[in-house]
Amino acid sequence: MKKTVMVVDDDELARLTVKKILEPTGLQVTAVESGEACIREVQKGFEGLILMDIMMPGMDGWDTIQSLVDQGIVKGNIICMLTGKESPDDRMKMFKEYILDYIRKPFDQKKFTQLVKDYLSYL
Amino acid sequence: MEKRNLVIIGSSGASLPILISIFKNMPKLRGPVVLIQHMPFYINDAVRTNLAKKTDMTVKMAEADEVLKPGTLYIAPSEMHFKLAHNERIQLENGPKVNYVCPSIDVAMLSVEKDPAMHPMGILLAGVGDDGVKGIGHIKRIGGVTVALDIQASTISGMAEDAIATGSVDFVLGSDAIRIKVAEHLGQPK
Repeated sequence: MKKTVMVVDDDELARLTVKKILEPTGLQVTAVESGEACIREVQKGFEGLILMDIMMPGMDGWDTIQSLVDQGIVKGNIICMLTGKESPDDRMKMFKEYILDYIRKPFDQKKFTQLVKDYLSYL
Repeated sequence: MEKRNLVIIGSSGASLPILISIFKNMPKLRGPVVLIQHMPFYINDAVRTNLAKKTDMTVKMAEADEVLKPGTLYIAPSEMHFKLAHNERIQLENGPKVNYVCPSIDVAMLSVEKDPAMHPMGILLAGVGDDGVKGIGHIKRIGGVTVALDIQASTISGMAEDAIATGSVDFVLGSDAIRIKVAEHLGQPK
């Protein structure tokens, strides 16, 4: 099982919260502030669970996933959307083969940690 | 003549934990289950392994030309469309994505034929978009039983919600009740 997680969110508090919850459980968390930074990490070899915000300046979550797919570098990663948006917009259906969940903020800390570990068990 | 039964499940994002709870401690049933799961190809085997740990059923990736056997859960491999010929022989076909996905739940369910000797059950779990909505309607039209996941059980309601809106769904259930429904439909060992 991989133990690597990347949180992609322009909100610093959201990034810190995910790190604070997951790192004490033994997971290694990379926190980046943009889709562009996420792509750079994957290009450098990151493989694991990507927790992707949707609304970000520059590339949004969907643009970022599209780029990972187009570049052929999505392999080895599971993507879960992690967002405050109540429900997915229409663009999600284009990427449904790559996105395994849609987790809404705020979330229950214990359930979130279990879900992250469950999804990492598929890698 | 005793009817042959078949369960075909369409599943997408957010449904993996639900699938695990449906098959947890499931005994080896007296009919086959087919699973069409939207997922990247590189987790196919991990999904198979995780499900196999939960149930006494044989869990395997579907192979072309294989004939469905009772007590077996067949997982459609990614990037091939899954069809059944004469309701029992697996066909895996290359082809363009349907409803943005391959395999498509609609393609699989629409391949099930009306047959007085066969009683299908179609189940639609969580996922965005409408893949599976036409398929569930087809299963209903040919005399099968149709089930959709209770949308309260998931953050993603699209597929199941759209299917329910068509009026083609017989039962709207949570994962525990779906588990019981599948076991009842296929029958447990005597």
